[in-house]
Amino acid sequence: MPLPDEVFDVIRDVFDDPSLALNETTSAKDVDGWDSLMHINIIIALEKHFKVKFATAEVSDLTNEGRNIGSVIEMLRKKVPGGEP
Amino acid sequence: MTTQGPHYAVLMEYLRGGAGDLSDRLPPLLAQFKARLEDGRLAEAAFLLRQAVRPDLDYTSAQSLVRAVKKLRSAGLEGPKPLRLAVLGGFTTTQLCQLIDLYLFAAGADVELYEAEYGIFRQEILDESSGLYAHKPSLVFLAVSWRDLTHLPTISDDRAAVRAKVQAELDEWAQLWRTAHQRLGCQIIQNNFEEPPWRALGNLEKRHPASLGRFISLVNHELAEAAPAYVTVHDVDHLSAAAGRWNWSDARFFHHAKMPCGPEHLCTYAHSVASVIASQAGLSHKCLVLDLDNTLWGGVVGDDGLGGIRLGHATPEGEAYLAFQQYLKELRLRGVVLAVCSKNEDAIAREAFEKHPEMVLRLDDISCFVANWNDKAANLRQIAAELNIGLNSLVFVDDNPAERELVRTLAPEVAVPELPEDPSGYIQALEKHRYFQLVSLNAEDIQRTNSYKANAARKQAQAQASNIEEFLQALDMTGLVQDVNEHSLERTVQLLQRSNQFNLTTRRHTAAQVMAMMSDPAWETTTITLKDRYGDNGLISVLLARREGRALVIDTWVMSCRVLKRGVEHLALNHLARQAARRGLDRLRGEYIPTPKNILVKDHYASLGFAPAGTDTDGRTWWELDLADWTDRPHFIKETATDATA
Repeated sequence: MPLPDEVFDVIRDVFDDPSLALNETTSAKDVDGWDSLMHINIIIALEKHFKVKFATAEVSDLTNEGRNIGSVIEMLRKKVPGGEP
Repeated sequence: MTTQGPHYAVLMEYLRGGAGDLSDRLPPLLAQFKARLEDGRLAEAAFLLRQAVRPDLDYTSAQSLVRAVKKLRSAGLEGPKPLRLAVLGGFTTTQLCQLIDLYLFAAGADVELYEAEYGIFRQEILDESSGLYAHKPSLVFLAVSWRDLTHLPTISDDRAAVRAKVQAELDEWAQLWRTAHQRLGCQIIQNNFEEPPWRALGNLEKRHPASLGRFISLVNHELAEAAPAYVTVHDVDHLSAAAGRWNWSDARFFHHAKMPCGPEHLCTYAHSVASVIASQAGLSHKCLVLDLDNTLWGGVVGDDGLGGIRLGHATPEGEAYLAFQQYLKELRLRGVVLAVCSKNEDAIAREAFEKHPEMVLRLDDISCFVANWNDKAANLRQIAAELNIGLNSLVFVDDNPAERELVRTLAPEVAVPELPEDPSGYIQALEKHRYFQLVSLNAEDIQRTNSYKANAARKQAQAQASNIEEFLQALDMTGLVQDVNEHSLERTVQLLQRSNQFNLTTRRHTAAQVMAMMSDPAWETTTITLKDRYGDNGLISVLLARREGRALVIDTWVMSCRVLKRGVEHLALNHLARQAARRGLDRLRGEYIPTPKNILVKDHYASLGFAPAGTDTDGRTWWELDLADWTDRPHFIKETATDATA
C-alpha cells in the first residue's frame, strides 16, 4: 500500500470511521473531533503502526497553522525504511 | 446467556493468541461485537467486550475498546449501580480515566465519574464550592506524581532538614485527605510517588541524605505508615519499577500532553487502579483452582510415576515448578483459597502431595481437592459449591489450552488466564491480572484457609452427634458481641465487601461510611466473633442498624456462611432486641433486597418471627418484629462480654 493510503487508514482506524474522507491537505481543523486528545491518539497509533518515534518538536509541530496530513507523510518518509519515493 | 455461536470461535482465537500485538486479532472480534450490537443482543456484545479487555492491552487497541463500551452503553446496556468516583489529577487524566472505566466495566462495575482539570487537585479539595463537592463521590482518586511534591530537598540539606521536609510533605497530603474525608465521608485512593529514572547523584542516590531518590522513597514509606483506614495507597512506584523506569516515563508525552507515563504503560496503570477500586467494591477473586500435571510439576504423575515427575532442584525445569509452588504457597498464606482440579486418579494425585519430598504445597494447603475424569467445568462448579463461593470468585490455572478453552466455553464466569509454555513464566502470567488485590490484610484472612479445614472437622463431629442440639452443645461456642471499633473496622468492612450469600441488603459500605456510623448516636454498629473447640472463627457477623422513629431499622445484616446454623442469628437478634429496648424503642424493622446470590436469606426474617410489612416493585421485602412480648431466642453460644459502651 502506498504510504499516504496507509497513513489515512491508521487515522480512520483511530476515528473508528472507515469512510472518513482524508487527503494530504486535510488538517486537524477539517475533521470533526480531531482535538488535542485525538491528536495524541493518532501519534501513538502512527508510531505503533510504522514502528517509528516522533521527536517532541515534531509532535507539536503537526498541530501548527498550515500543517496537515501531508506534513505527517513527509515526516514519515524520512523515518520509514524505503519511505522516500 | 448462551456463549456459543459464530462469535465464539473469534473470541477463542483472540484469547489463544497470548500476549503481544493485538492489531490483527482485535478487529474480527470488534466486527462480531458490532454485529451483536446491531442485532440488539447487548448481553452477548458485553460478554465479548469483557473477555477482550485484558491487562496487557496496547494503547490503540484499548482506545478501540473504550469506544465500543461507549456504544454499548448508549445502546442501552444496563450496568450495576454506579460507584461515584472523582479523579483529581496532578497530570492529564483523560486517557487514564477512560481506561480505568474500561477495566472496571470488565470487572463488572460501573462508575459515575467526575474528572477535575489537571493540576488543581488542592483547590478542588480545599474549595467547598468546587465540582468535587457538587459530585459527592464516595471514592476520590488523587492521581498525582512525584512532580506534585512541594518540599523537595536541596543538596545542602542535612538529615534533620530532610526529615523535616518529609514530615511537611506528609502533613500536606494528610490535610487534603482529612478535608475531603470530613466533607464527603469518602474513601480515598492516593498515589505514592515514582522515582524518576535519572539520578543526579548516581550510585550515591540511595545513600545521600538530600538526594531526590532517597527523599521520594522516604515519603513513600511514611505515606504508607500514616495513611488511615479510609486511604488506600496506590503503589505507582512499583508499576514504574516493574516496567523499567526509563520505559515507564516517556518524557515526550509528558512534555507534550502532561501524560504521567508512556502510552504503552497507561493500560497497566489503569488496570492497577481499577483492581484497587474493584477490590473495594468486593469484586476480587477468592480462590485459585490448580491443575496438577505440567502445572504444579513437569510430566504426568499417572504415567511417569512419583519419581518421574520434574519437580525440585534436580533440573532447571523442576526448579521453575518449585518456584511456582512457592509463589502459590505465599498466596495461600495471605488468604487466597487453593483448590485442585485435575484429571487423575484421586489416590495417585494425592500421593504426590503426601510423598514427593520436594512438593512445597501439601494436602493441608488445598481446601478442596478434586481429581477425577469428569469435565473440568463441572468440577469447577462442584468446587465453588463446596467452598460456598460464586463461580466468578474462581481463577482456573491449567497449562492445557484445550482445558482452558473448555472452561471458558462452559463456565465463562471463571477467570482463565493464558499460561506460557515455559513454567518459568507462570508467576508473571498470573500476577499481571491482579486477581487477588487486597485493601487490607488481617488475622482473619490468614486464618481463613485453616478454618475451611476446621469446618471439615466440625462436619465430621456433626455426623457423629445424634441430634443438632447435642452437636451445638458439644461445640462449646463462645461469642463476643461488640460495637465496631478501630481494631475491628478493617475486618468489618471486608466482610461487607465480600459477603454475598448471607447478606440481607448487599450494601457495600466503605470504611469511611462505617466510621461515620460509629460516631453517630442514631446507629448501632455490631460485630460478632465466634470461637469453638475447633478454633477461632474470627469476626463472622456484622449488623448495622439505625433508630428511625420507634423502630430500630436493620440496614445491614451479614454473616459468614462458615457459621450457618450455629445459632449466631439468634445471638445477634437477642442483642438487637436488647439495644432497641435500651433505647426505648418498641420494634425491629428488617429489609431484604434480593440479588442473584442471596436467596439463602430470603426467608431470614420470617424464620426469626418477623411479620411481613410490605413488598416493593423491585422484590425488596420489609419485615417487622414487635418487641412488646419479647423473649430471648434460645442458642448454645456463651456470650463472653459485650462492649462496655454498648
